[in-house]
Amino acid sequence: MDRRAIFFLGAAAVCLLLVPLSDGYAWVATATGIVYLLLSLGSWLDTRSRRRP
Amino acid sequence: MELSVLFVIAVALAFDYVNGFHDAANSIATVVSTRVLSPRIAVVWAAFFNFAAFVVFGEAVASTIANDVVVQDVLSIGVIFAGLVGAILWDLITFYLGLPTSSSHALVGGIAGAAVAKAGFDVLITSGLRKIGVFIVLSPLIGLAIGLLITIGISWAFHRYRNVERLNRGFRRGQLLSAAAFSLGHGANDAQKTMGVILALLIASGHAAADASVPLWVVLSAHTAIGLGTLTGGWRIVKTMGSKITRLQPVGGMAAESGAAITLFATSAAGIPVSTTHTITGAIVGVGAARRLSAVRWGVAGRVVWAWILTIPGSFAISWLTFHAVDLVS
Repeated sequence: MDRRAIFFLGAAAVCLLLVPLSDGYAWVATATGIVYLLLSLGSWLDTRSRRRP
Repeated sequence: MELSVLFVIAVALAFDYVNGFHDAANSIATVVSTRVLSPRIAVVWAAFFNFAAFVVFGEAVASTIANDVVVQDVLSIGVIFAGLVGAILWDLITFYLGLPTSSSHALVGGIAGAAVAKAGFDVLITSGLRKIGVFIVLSPLIGLAIGLLITIGISWAFHRYRNVERLNRGFRRGQLLSAAAFSLGHGANDAQKTMGVILALLIASGHAAADASVPLWVVLSAHTAIGLGTLTGGWRIVKTMGSKITRLQPVGGMAAESGAAITLFATSAAGIPVSTTHTITGAIVGVGAARRLSAVRWGVAGRVVWAWILTIPGSFAISWLTFHAVDLVS
């Protein structure tokens, strides 16, 4: 797995850990976490496609 | 109005002026480094939009600072003065140490520290502090994601475009708008923090009702102070920054400023005080990460994390000590 995907995965984990603390803004933390999960997946697929012979 | 109240208002406006002075480089660094504007014109451009923010945004952030950090009964002239001194001293110490801390978080920590020194931990409003704490972490991450997504979107939209010269000209024009938007967001979020402190002071000293909105003279003076700070400080800072700024392409500068501006607009509208410095840092990291992770200067990102951890406890401690020192003397 590439480092960028791991970084995005870490950012997603941080956002999702903040959800219980976010009171009225839980949707912001959730949405940001989901965006980072998608970015992590996209980055992983991007790296994988570049490595293919 | 008593002399002591006028004095603390002057200290609050001085804090706002220093904020503009200090943060001006954030607003104009990218337009200067891409040579879209000369440093002198860039500073005037940013200062104008700092001031103009009062027309566009309400006073939700000011209300959060005045009502959601500590209970209103504990706020007095002494508490607000000690809070401001704590925030200013913390800013000066970290400026000397080269830590990219946030004046906004220093202000929140300062007010909280002085209030606790006066009446104990029960005066803290945990829901308000939690909201601010959550967005200390979320705002740079949101700026990063938006900066990155804008960069990816632009790459997809224009990757077949062959006339690079013409494209760059377009992005340079776009950067004028994105820099203006970021300065507008900076003026809105940061000037409102000072407005909140002055409103709290007016309520504490009996010059305004507990549910009063921010008087127009406070709005205008706070925006004038931050605009003047940008106007005077920006030029000097940019002159010394010239060689240190990472050379960004106009497209990257536009994406970073737009990402940060969108984050600041949304948080200002929601009444959440966030750090403009950390938000633009996050957005610039996002632009770098769109290329590859090694394009990012991770040292800067690491120092921002340290700033998150240290700022509120640091300014809290200084204000706590300042309040006790003032109390002892008086």
